[in-house]
Amino acid sequence: MATASGTAPATAPATTAPRRRSPLVRLAALLGGLALAVVLVVAPLVSSPFINYQLSSIMVFAVALLGLNVVMGYTGQVSLGQSAFLGLGAYVTAYGVVQGWPLWLSLVLSAALPATVGMLVALAAARLRGLALAMITIALPIVGVPLARRLDEFTGGSQGQVVSFLRAPETTGLANDQWRYYVVTVIAVVVFVLVRNLVRGRVGRSFAVVKENEAVALSMGVSPYRTKVLAFTIASLLGGLAGFMYLAVVQYTSPETLVFATSINLVAAMVIGGSASIVGTVLGALYYVLVPVVAGQVSSSRTALISGAVLLAVLFVLPAGLASLPRRVGGRLRRRTPAAEGAPATPDPDGTAPAVPTPAAASTDRR
Amino acid sequence: MATTPPAEPGLSVRGVSLRFGGITVLDDVSFDAPRGGILGLVGPNGAGKTSLFNCISGHYQPTAGSILVGGTETVRTPAWRMARLGLARTFQHPALRLDATVLENVMLGAHSWLPGGPVSWALRLPTTRRHERQARDRALELLERTGLGWAAHTPADELSHGLHKGVELCRALLSRPSLLLLDEPAAGLSHGEVEALISTVREVRQEFDLTVVVVEHHMGLISALTDRVVVLDHGAKLMEGTAAEAQSDPRVVEAYLGKEVGAA
Repeated sequence: MATASGTAPATAPATTAPRRRSPLVRLAALLGGLALAVVLVVAPLVSSPFINYQLSSIMVFAVALLGLNVVMGYTGQVSLGQSAFLGLGAYVTAYGVVQGWPLWLSLVLSAALPATVGMLVALAAARLRGLALAMITIALPIVGVPLARRLDEFTGGSQGQVVSFLRAPETTGLANDQWRYYVVTVIAVVVFVLVRNLVRGRVGRSFAVVKENEAVALSMGVSPYRTKVLAFTIASLLGGLAGFMYLAVVQYTSPETLVFATSINLVAAMVIGGSASIVGTVLGALYYVLVPVVAGQVSSSRTALISGAVLLAVLFVLPAGLASLPRRVGGRLRRRTPAAEGAPATPDPDGTAPAVPTPAAASTDRR
Repeated sequence: MATTPPAEPGLSVRGVSLRFGGITVLDDVSFDAPRGGILGLVGPNGAGKTSLFNCISGHYQPTAGSILVGGTETVRTPAWRMARLGLARTFQHPALRLDATVLENVMLGAHSWLPGGPVSWALRLPTTRRHERQARDRALELLERTGLGWAAHTPADELSHGLHKGVELCRALLSRPSLLLLDEPAAGLSHGEVEALISTVREVRQEFDLTVVVVEHHMGLISALTDRVVVLDHGAKLMEGTAAEAQSDPRVVEAYLGKEVGAA
């Protein structure tokens, strides 16, 4: 019945939707990035050691959160063990400093050892999902804390250990807190650029499809198992790196570093900031570090209560996290002025014989 | 009508059986899909069409039998490696990332041939960037060809169900398949959309030298599109022939409508 001779394919490329963001938006983004860079460079020079300590802490937890976001936000695999890798990275660094290793070796091992542990755990656990996977990851800090107490030759036991390293070189004229801030900031910026690249390309697409639908992943040549192992490995690598940064800033580590509660707070911060979002990760780190500080200044006896209230308030207003704010506002504006912005891209230009389903159907969508 | 098949058929299913516990889902099914041809897989609900599809795509492992894609035995190949063997499929219910743009969704199709591991992607090496650009251009080209070019940068959740099917087809084609499995491509489409679908599938079949296997209920689409059909019933092959032959075969009519009984 159907007539189906080859209709000439629509070869009208000029009228396609804009390729990327408009030049104005790109300019704004560029200027914003420059401003941010200037702030990052100048801030420690004009701030008190206390402020610098907080700024450095933001960098530390931004990296830890970024790792968590790779596995949980982007790949959709529950991980409640990120604090264990943070602690492991800190202990490896402390051990290296005590043994007098060169700093670069401590840095590399603080990332490589947790990454290896994370990969081994994932090789065994990545076939699980949901609650079973959550239980395995919970076990890491649960086992890690008593382990850190027992292995006191390496860890200093329950007392923890104070290490002193990463002093500002004389020639820089910087104070230690400023120098340490710059070191952790450089690490954080490099890590963020690398992960941003990663989640935008081929690997990022495989993360996203594993999160969304494993049957589609399989049919497109993505192994969900391998993808999950990769995501876990990256998460634990970044957790370990954050441990190095933590020790650099705090100069002290104890079994408290890897307690389970830290993992939970990191998950909360990730959700608050926005999962599967680079900007959201930064916002989550701001939340993680600053809200307890501010809450403590408001009322030192009700810190947890105030933090909890902020968490609930944010999630009530923005369930997809702080990073979704522009989209929410934008969506609301667009709905108020229909047909103004979104429309022109939609209709088929001069009806050039569309092959697959007609764009006319696009107007009858849900939402 | 069909182009005479060269040496190897695009897909060869030989004696495939599938049992779950005591239930026989597929029973010794055999057929060939000639290279460059379009084969329809029809049968009433529960006949085992989708199960057979899942065996071919590697999601299920048949209990017995062998499946050859372009001459290569694939029964023991893990599903995720099938894309590299040239197999691509679409789903009955389009499975797209709704929060991502149409282009992003299609780009996933390039996964099996894009080179480079996590390190080169994190570093955005020049070669990596070039490959990404190639994939992107190819994706845009396919969208353009199927009349979806205008939607490339639109979030997928702003498109209709019918357009989702088109996006899924582009995603499958981007993987450079030699064997394309379409699972009920006409389900939920309007009449006009089905016509457009038919012409698109015919076009791409010719252009990419594709072997196409279609599972479908829509008899209009089957008649217009396929060179041959295989009819399944209760997990076994009932007959094989052209769509017209199938439709007039009393056994097929019986399988769909039931036996004529004396009572009113």
